[in-house]
Amino acid sequence: MSRAIQGPSAGSQRSVETLVSKLRRRQVVGSRDAALETVLVLRQVVSRAKFSNIDQLVAIIRSVGKRLVEAQPKEHTVGNTVRKVLHHIREEYNTASKGTAASSSKTTYTISNFVLQGQPRKQNVAPKSEATISLKEDDPDDPDSFSRALKPVLMEAIQDVLDELETVYDNVSKNAKDHIHSDEIILTLGHSRTVESFLKQAAHSRSFTVIVAETGPSYKGHEMAKSLSSAGISTFLVPDSSIYAIMSRVNKVIIGAHAILANGGMFAITGSLLAATAARVHSTPIVVCAGQFKFTPLWNLYHDFGALDFADPSSVLGFEEGSLVDKVDVLNPYYDYVGPELVDVFITNDGDHPPSSVYRLIKESYDDDDHEL
Amino acid sequence: MASPESNRFDLHATYRQNLQNHEISPPLAAILALSELVVNSGAGTMFELVQELHDGAEVLKKSTTNPISLNAGCELFIAFVTLFPHESDSFAELKSELMRQGQKYAREAIAYRDKIAELMLGFIKDDSVILTHSYSRVVMKALLHAHKTKRISVYVTEARPRGLGIKTYEELTAAGIPCTVVLDSAVAYVMDKVDFVLVGSEAVVESGGLINAVGSSQIAVIAKAGNKPFYALAESYKFHRLFPLSQYDLPTHNPSILSFRPPQVTAAPSSPSGVSPDHQNEAINGTSSATPAAPSSRTMSADQIACNPDVDYTRPDLISLVFSDVGTLTPEAISQYLVAMFAG
Repeated sequence: MSRAIQGPSAGSQRSVETLVSKLRRRQVVGSRDAALETVLVLRQVVSRAKFSNIDQLVAIIRSVGKRLVEAQPKEHTVGNTVRKVLHHIREEYNTASKGTAASSSKTTYTISNFVLQGQPRKQNVAPKSEATISLKEDDPDDPDSFSRALKPVLMEAIQDVLDELETVYDNVSKNAKDHIHSDEIILTLGHSRTVESFLKQAAHSRSFTVIVAETGPSYKGHEMAKSLSSAGISTFLVPDSSIYAIMSRVNKVIIGAHAILANGGMFAITGSLLAATAARVHSTPIVVCAGQFKFTPLWNLYHDFGALDFADPSSVLGFEEGSLVDKVDVLNPYYDYVGPELVDVFITNDGDHPPSSVYRLIKESYDDDDHEL
Repeated sequence: MASPESNRFDLHATYRQNLQNHEISPPLAAILALSELVVNSGAGTMFELVQELHDGAEVLKKSTTNPISLNAGCELFIAFVTLFPHESDSFAELKSELMRQGQKYAREAIAYRDKIAELMLGFIKDDSVILTHSYSRVVMKALLHAHKTKRISVYVTEARPRGLGIKTYEELTAAGIPCTVVLDSAVAYVMDKVDFVLVGSEAVVESGGLINAVGSSQIAVIAKAGNKPFYALAESYKFHRLFPLSQYDLPTHNPSILSFRPPQVTAAPSSPSGVSPDHQNEAINGTSSATPAAPSSRTMSADQIACNPDVDYTRPDLISLVFSDVGTLTPEAISQYLVAMFAG
């Protein structure tokens, strides 16, 4: 085709730019909000995009994804959402095009494919009774016919991603009562919405006690404690410094995650590493509640303890301490890196998984060539 | 030496010849040799052909003391042949197709080390200090590749008794990478100075564990104790369907390893036998250490070395990540690939 690969159309370009600047200014924070905003922008991009074959569409989405990821590389869910949308779109495209070009997609059987994919499966080509849409790529007479035919299914695919995000808290909490027993003492920290809804759901059928660590310097634990106690859960608020001392009384540590990495480790709010290490000493189980959109095909490369993401230091040492401010370096990292050996289980919206199987879930939910957007 | 039915084709000689190429490792050499065996075989059915390949693999295995990585290559090729869909018109055509596949794979596989080096690069930060063990082609590739863009310095273990650490030292120094040889017994001493440990592999097994030059296991134990990442590099043709539970389950283990010999009262310490002392001197000269030749009674005799293993098994819980051409994997992920290829 003579048409060059285009970027998103002008209208969607504007919404991309809006989100980019929001991400950059940290007006969108929190992994779920960032993911939601990303899907909405992608939906707009796809609905307005002009393309006449799948590669053009993928290129458009990727270019948008790259802009968003670069705007805020520490908000990992943005990239994850883009990857997930790409994966769904390819899947829809493959099922849609199977009817028209069944023979063309014959994979060659070589030793390297054998290593990658294993034994050749008997491909049971069930004759699809449902009418497949006729797809014609790069139609010179009507370059838009491809996108016109494909768009409805693509919109559905994106809607699936959106639905998953919207129901994530409910789905994570749905088995909450199986994880918490009556009269247990739970330690949590920070204000993770996933954990909050998990505990509240469990409180419908169990009575238990929650100890919330204050989680300085953001003191998000205060909000958490307020919210839990107003839901009728017996709640204690403790300073972070007593986490270790109190651990011997705790039955379970339940915390949230910011991003879950391919090796089963995770980035979680500062203080999580402290709590996890203390829990390990007492062999207290560490349960992490998180939606699968937080699974990130990345590794904790070399910043051992933090995610190299720093918040405003004024909450650690304010400017009223003027005489001190220029004498010390003040760091206020957002996240801790908690290694896979410290986590017992991830409770997700799609089942409970040990850290060692995170890599497999990541392999299933994203396409390998999207790891670098 | 050759299998009886193929007197015109010498499998072992072909294997040796393939190994002459510095880039070709034993599993690839075995795949190439077996693919030539396919076209030279007189087998008329798939069953006969597979049988002949199994016999050929056995011949190759017998010819070496350490068949582990070779075995991985043989098993991969045989599993591939067994499952190859028949679409060819004649059996002869199928055979030549199989040979083409084998050779094509070997050609592709040579580039795997570059791929691994590229994957590894993201994990090496500027000013890293790396500890490596013995000599491994893929580790050399990764280090030399990292050297192009990052400042790295390397400690390498001497890796007695073969002293291959010296080879690593020479190649790295020639490339301008600061490198120091450390004693195998100084690994714990050096560990605190190191950012991570990087080793190659003879094979990666189903448990996610690693088979590599002897000494890797103790380095991994020390790295774990020091809380340092232990990375293994392995091309995917080294994935091997084996599940050793201990060192003594390895196919290389035999009763003479670690055996106790009856004490020989008359053993004259002044007449050491074997090549070891020479080798030792050579190694010392290589590091330009000025100490006079050690008294030969203080070095191991060839008999004593023979009681020691060549390779050891590193448990998966000691390994942080395995870098392979199919991606960066946790040790647990290895079994997924092996099961996909060999099970069911």
